[in-house]
Amino acid sequence: MTATDATPVTSLPAPAPVRTDWRRTILRSLLYGRDVDRAAKTRARLGLAIVAFALGYAVIAGRLVMFAAQPEGHTGRHVTPGLVGTARPDILDRNGEILATDVRVPSLFAEPNRIIDVDEATELLTAVLPDLDSMEVRERLGSKRRFAWLKRDITPRQRAEIYRLGQPGIGFLPENKRVYPNGNEVSHLIGHVNIDNQGIAGIEKWLDRSGLADLHMAGLATDRLQEPVRLAVDLRVQHALRDELIKGRDKFKAKAAAGLIVSVRTGEIIAMVSVPDYDPNNPREALDPNRINRLTTGVYEMGSTFKALTLAMALDSGKANLNSSFDARAPLHFGKFEIHDAHPEGRFLSLSEVFTYSSNIGAARIALMMGVEAHKAFLKKMGQLDRLRTELPESAEPLVPRNWGELNTVTIAFGHGLAVAPLQAVMGVSALVNGGYLIPPTFLRRSEEQAKALAVRVIRPETSDKMRYLMRLNAEKGTARQADVPGYYVGGKTGTSEKVIGGHYSKDRVLNSFTAILPADDPRYQVLIMLDEPQALPETHGFRTSGWNAVPTGAAVIGRVAPLLGIQPRFDLPPADQLILASIVPSR
Amino acid sequence: MMRLLNICVIVALVAAAAYVYKIKFESTRKAEQVAKLRLDIQRERDTIAALRAEWSKLDNPLRIQDLARRHLELRPIDSRQFDQLQGLPERPPDLVPPDSPDPIGSLLEHPDPPTSSIPPAGRPK
Repeated sequence: MTATDATPVTSLPAPAPVRTDWRRTILRSLLYGRDVDRAAKTRARLGLAIVAFALGYAVIAGRLVMFAAQPEGHTGRHVTPGLVGTARPDILDRNGEILATDVRVPSLFAEPNRIIDVDEATELLTAVLPDLDSMEVRERLGSKRRFAWLKRDITPRQRAEIYRLGQPGIGFLPENKRVYPNGNEVSHLIGHVNIDNQGIAGIEKWLDRSGLADLHMAGLATDRLQEPVRLAVDLRVQHALRDELIKGRDKFKAKAAAGLIVSVRTGEIIAMVSVPDYDPNNPREALDPNRINRLTTGVYEMGSTFKALTLAMALDSGKANLNSSFDARAPLHFGKFEIHDAHPEGRFLSLSEVFTYSSNIGAARIALMMGVEAHKAFLKKMGQLDRLRTELPESAEPLVPRNWGELNTVTIAFGHGLAVAPLQAVMGVSALVNGGYLIPPTFLRRSEEQAKALAVRVIRPETSDKMRYLMRLNAEKGTARQADVPGYYVGGKTGTSEKVIGGHYSKDRVLNSFTAILPADDPRYQVLIMLDEPQALPETHGFRTSGWNAVPTGAAVIGRVAPLLGIQPRFDLPPADQLILASIVPSR
Repeated sequence: MMRLLNICVIVALVAAAAYVYKIKFESTRKAEQVAKLRLDIQRERDTIAALRAEWSKLDNPLRIQDLARRHLELRPIDSRQFDQLQGLPERPPDLVPPDSPDPIGSLLEHPDPPTSSIPPAGRPK
């Protein structure tokens, strides 16, 4: 529009300068031009004005067309006026079962400045909602504020009844409420949200961290149209694991139980249970310290499970083979400490016997043979010395001895003196049996190609084959015999570690674990079972070692989940000596 | 001439205004309809979400397991109950060769047949 003032001067023919009375001439020439017909001048000006106005209207018309042609981007926001509480994407398991979803519920609020009779309103409201505190309601309604929540999350029926009261100044706002239809089953994994629908634990918190919170800030995430998040967990497997763990915990009167099923080829966590757990619909339960997730937030001395790592280190270095023998004739004296075997054989043991008899002395000697530095470096390579981070925000740092001497190496060789998160140990054992690839565990779905891209080779494939053999041998002849579920060719390693009570290892408080791989000749899944302080029973002949409680629990779990995981039972398979050991191709 | 033109222009103007008004009215109505449909869709979505939550609550494995234990004879499957496809026994041989006429049908067609009209029971050699 401002162009009309400036254009006439420049668009007219430039006036020629006149010598006489130059100031007047310049002014005249600027205004009219030299020797110009006034009438022609006026016409030209009119024409110019017409062009300018036409241009202006053309611009307006053009904008109108543009507005009309544009899709109305802002109407969507008017659909849900006043929606409080942000929407979150649904969380599904690997088969598409809902683990967490949003449901819209009404919440009751008041505008106190519009309430006529506070006492009457309080009386009527508390009649409909008996769990409201009448004192508090009266106080809120009597305040001079313009807005006050009365009750979040009421039922549609209560809403209808309050409508019928016909009280002014009382209204409802629809809010998104997070519901977990499966209750306790996936509690630790999923985590939970607070009253404002913000994730404060588990995968829910991870969702907020990975960008959802920013969307909320921008006010964009109010709609339900967000892509659901698919996890690696399988609800059916999760349930079977939890059911068997609770049975095992009750049977052996253990304080707690935990279980983990991971895919050794992809690192996906198929099921993760730590009982006692909590109901994410009632997050207050989660505050009880007894209900923590023992698999990621707790660190434990994993006991004999660590012997698998010790032996793999020796085998991988080439300094020992399956038949190397180690002196286990007498307890190993080390300073003022004495290392015993639980079931002393009192003779030289071959490396595979060290594994099947779970000889502490043997494992200690193997680690000493390798040396402190090599031991430390190997455990570092296997990811046992650093904090393992997954999608879950909760993680625990392993307790690594500050001054790692020979004594530490000796005890860590059989799983004492180094406390790691069980998930971490599972990752390490997976790498031992899956061909030697260390794959970080994940709660999200991952294909084998993606896993390959992430994997780091940590041991040689032949070493991995030998570890499979040892694991299978242990289920055929060793401590894990009770886990040999027919048809699934299970391999496994037991672990019984004494808990440190008041600075001393306690004889009668133990943490038992059982790590199983199935099928042992070509592992696809790894199962970890942990029982915290199981008690000896008459059925277990007074024993409280892992072979008597964690292993049968593991066997029950495997029997139930293997069909769900799609593992075909095979019968009449030859023993490990023929099936696995004979097929190892020596590389040197 | 000029007057006729003016009248034409005025008529055209009125017609255009009426047309524009009609379009405007229509579009307002359509917009309202769209908003209403959006609201309906939103409500339907919310209902679907609520029903799906309800469904997965009912479909919870723990609940199904309790129900199954109480009302069904079924027990968890055992690995010995699986078998390979090769483990199936051979299909028993047909008593009647596949391309021979239906023996019972031919019996019905000839109510009193000589015994020789029944096709010989074809046991494969």
